[in-house]
Amino acid sequence: MLAIGGVFIAILLVFIELGFFIAVPQGGMLVYDHLRFDLLLCSKNYAFQAEPWQFPRTRLTDAAKAPGISQVTPLFFAGAKWQEPKGGDRLDAFVIGFDPAAKPFAVTDIERQTATLAQPDTVLVDDATRSLFGPLAASTEVLLDNHKVTIGGDYTLGTGFLGMAVAIMNETNFFRLFAPRTADIVNLGLITLTPGTDLETAAATLSKALPDDVQVFTRDGVKHHEDKYWTTRTSVGLIFGSGLIISFIVGIMVLYQTLATQISRHLPQFATLKAIGYGHHYLAAVVMIEAAMIVLVAFVPAAVAALAIYAQLRSATLLPVVLTTQRLIAVLVITLLMSAASAFLSLSNLRRADPADVF
Amino acid sequence: MTTALDAPSRYLPRFHGVPLAWRNLFANKRRLLRSSAGIAFAALLMMVQLGFEQGFFDASLSAVRALDGDLFVFSAYKYRFGTRDPIEHGELDRVRAVGSIASAEPLYADWQEFFWTSPIDRKPYLVRIFAFDPDAPAVFSLSGIKDQQTLLKNDDAVLVDRNARAFLGMDGTAKEAELNGQRVEIAGGFTLGPDFMSDGTVVMSDRLFAKLLPGNQDSVANLPIEAVVIKLRSGEAVSAVQSALRAALPNTSSVMTKAEIVDFERKFQEELSSAGPIFWLGAIVGFVVGMLISYQVIYTDLSDQLPQYATLKAIGYKTSYLVRSVLRQAALSGLAGYVPAWLLCIAAYRIIGAFALLPLHMTLHLTVLTLGLTLGMCLLAAVLAVRRVISADPAEIF
Repeated sequence: MLAIGGVFIAILLVFIELGFFIAVPQGGMLVYDHLRFDLLLCSKNYAFQAEPWQFPRTRLTDAAKAPGISQVTPLFFAGAKWQEPKGGDRLDAFVIGFDPAAKPFAVTDIERQTATLAQPDTVLVDDATRSLFGPLAASTEVLLDNHKVTIGGDYTLGTGFLGMAVAIMNETNFFRLFAPRTADIVNLGLITLTPGTDLETAAATLSKALPDDVQVFTRDGVKHHEDKYWTTRTSVGLIFGSGLIISFIVGIMVLYQTLATQISRHLPQFATLKAIGYGHHYLAAVVMIEAAMIVLVAFVPAAVAALAIYAQLRSATLLPVVLTTQRLIAVLVITLLMSAASAFLSLSNLRRADPADVF
Repeated sequence: MTTALDAPSRYLPRFHGVPLAWRNLFANKRRLLRSSAGIAFAALLMMVQLGFEQGFFDASLSAVRALDGDLFVFSAYKYRFGTRDPIEHGELDRVRAVGSIASAEPLYADWQEFFWTSPIDRKPYLVRIFAFDPDAPAVFSLSGIKDQQTLLKNDDAVLVDRNARAFLGMDGTAKEAELNGQRVEIAGGFTLGPDFMSDGTVVMSDRLFAKLLPGNQDSVANLPIEAVVIKLRSGEAVSAVQSALRAALPNTSSVMTKAEIVDFERKFQEELSSAGPIFWLGAIVGFVVGMLISYQVIYTDLSDQLPQYATLKAIGYKTSYLVRSVLRQAALSGLAGYVPAWLLCIAAYRIIGAFALLPLHMTLHLTVLTLGLTLGMCLLAAVLAVRRVISADPAEIF
């Protein structure tokens, strides 16, 4: 029972570290996952979503003329100081301007509130906006860069890695707020293709047709880019990567400890088996099987506990941290490998099982 | 009344005669190695996780810690130091009008508008900027900045953070680079390191800042002042001057000492960053794993030695003596695991710190904290396991 408890903790540790490790890049993709596009047009200087740089809108209108393009729509990003009208801290909020008619957001809360967005100086706020930004109820007034705006309502998407608060507004309101900025310079361009158009061909055609101050990403391409940015350019990936490695090592230690204890405890029995003629290989096989069985028995509750923890992680971060079958099998294989490694390590104890010594 | 059985100490050897815990620990070298390896990994896990937590805070505090002043004035609307929220220009004159002040210098800073074209891939990346008058008294105590601030008098000269993230190309031999599309000369470097928000830092003169800041029209007088760095005349009481400044300034300005500004920044990080709980969770897992390993070791050891313990009991040693011996043994095995873990951790901090550019250091605080946790987990495991010794009945065992 104790052995299983130890292995349970070891497997759970692997699950938790894995959860963090996969959650991090997904934070960078959260908003993209809720945008409608087949191809993403962005500056060649694009760093990551919250630092996309900018490019002339004409690139987007030119792109629209290419064959197979169904719709293009720009997104405008800005940072604004958010303050409650009664005073208090001026906090940093991330603001997105867009054309609601183009329906770039695949978020029902946003589509439902298109009429609200049309009202002057009205914003919708992400309900994951941190509590320190004050009440977010509809018709609350706040100051954005010292302009009074009204919160028209909220939506559930998640702030991802955009910041502590995200507000969205229609283009007209956006440019009134951020005057003298104009719609001639855009941050991102969302391109949808007509059904049946080949994705890769369209991407290649577009990037050839457009000047090299912009680049074209497919959805997979942007995912790859964001993953790479967060796991290699920031310390986040390294920290959780090293956590994952440490969790493996600790797991092996616990398993080895458990198995070695089991063997030394049953040394007389093993010695007896040896004495009555069972070979070392047979006994080794018994240890291996025992190791595998301990892992299997501990794996089930660990997976269940991991499901609960992932659910917590999901509701806390709104990131799609999911325990897919693939990941489940991966962890199972890894723990079986860990148990094989530790069983192998503990076999040396078995060699000592000398019937003459034990009794 | 004293009988022989009540006071076995009269004729039984005491601990100082036979170091029972010590001998038990070393009786089985193989097991000692195994158990200390297990405990060492658990301790290492706690050290690394808590080190990360501390490193994250240190990274975000490094800039404010590098400031060189007795008092600082900045906007009361700031929720953290590292965000743009300038004070009114008139405030600087009000500050300077207060007596007891040796110097009051404006610090200009920006986090959102300066793009550094990396010499490596020619792409622009957002960087953090600090700017000040190079002829005025130093506003940073960081040696690389303080000692080289005269270099900033040259046109277009900047100092760069040699510890910035590698992709910015600030660590290399590049003599010049581009900031906001204009050529700048890299006159020297300092070591600060990145934080959550910024990948790298560039320090420049107020004149160059005025030239490069978008929409500023090259005028130093109109620059947004992010903070005023104040040094007092020697012998002046900081708190008295702080009160005088508060009285002289409107309540839209905060006046803080260096310790207060560091606390202010730390509080923001603690409230808003999820890094703390994540690393504490990791440390707790390490603790539990270590406790399980330790329990298993002690339990097995006690099971193996149960006849011996029962014998000791039968010849009159008190249970409390045996329990103490078990606890002592647990503490010793904790130490045996802790010491190699501590040494390994220093190596781990070096390697991870160099890759992640996090200031990971084995501080006294971390040493004491993790030692306490390691001993705690071993002793807790021993307390749980020792029940076996307490219940060891000589009559049953033989």
